[in-house]
Amino acid sequence: MPDDAFECSVTTTSILLHGSAGTRDVRATLPPVMPDATESRRNLDVWWGLLLSLAAMLCNVVFFVNPPVQRAIPWLSLLLAVSALIFLARGIKRAFGTPRVYRGKILSSIVGAVSLLLVSLVLITFFHARAMPTSAAAPRVGQRALDFTLTDTSGQPVSLDQLFAPAADDPQAAAPKAVLLIFYRGYW
Amino acid sequence: MRGVEKRLTEFKAAGVRPVAISVDPPEVSRDLCKKAGYTFSVLSDPKAEVIRRYDLLHVGVGPEGHDVARPAEFLVDSSRVVRWVNFTEDVRVRARADEMLAQAKKLR
Repeated sequence: MPDDAFECSVTTTSILLHGSAGTRDVRATLPPVMPDATESRRNLDVWWGLLLSLAAMLCNVVFFVNPPVQRAIPWLSLLLAVSALIFLARGIKRAFGTPRVYRGKILSSIVGAVSLLLVSLVLITFFHARAMPTSAAAPRVGQRALDFTLTDTSGQPVSLDQLFAPAADDPQAAAPKAVLLIFYRGYW
Repeated sequence: MRGVEKRLTEFKAAGVRPVAISVDPPEVSRDLCKKAGYTFSVLSDPKAEVIRRYDLLHVGVGPEGHDVARPAEFLVDSSRVVRWVNFTEDVRVRARADEMLAQAKKLR
């Protein structure tokens, strides 16, 4: 750090030459002081990266409570993951680019690695969860639903027509106006 | 499906009968109904024949790489015409019972 040492000695000499009264003037004419190498700044970016990646991860847990805005949550998780990546990149660049100012290359690397793992999990989940068949040939609004016969939980065959019949245990009940077919992945 | 069970009386009042369909064999569905307390019809399509005809087969994503149905909902009226349909874009996002109920109430 020869520059710093030189500047320092100049200041000291000036103070010595001009006395205490001239100190302020001398300082004012000096170029803006460079970041002090002995004073390290905290590298907050990597911590923001970790926080954002944790938040992105947490979005996947939120689905279990079936929130009303759940359609937006996958996109929120993606946004948080991408923001985490930006902060991480900046933090790591700082830690390695200006190590004199932002110390803790090892800590930054560890926090960075953990965050990166979380972000990758979020991204894998995002694309995996949305990898759906196109179902181009599925019945659309206005088309006729295909008839079928399937087995109910007591092993009895049930057809679509039968689903429109009044409930067997209540013959007075009206026939349903509509049937809501809910296809689901299964119980496991 | 938990939401549908919770609001089953409202579905019935709207004249709509919810029916769930999956590849699970009847005994597995029976187990599910018992544990989750579902009282609406749950049908089994173990060979995914109907699921395939409805073009809802999602290949190899079930347990041990089994084929399952992608989540999808169809509101079919008494003349067998589809009045509303929902294809889930993200497995984590399901049609909500209140959404389906709102569609059910629109029917006349």
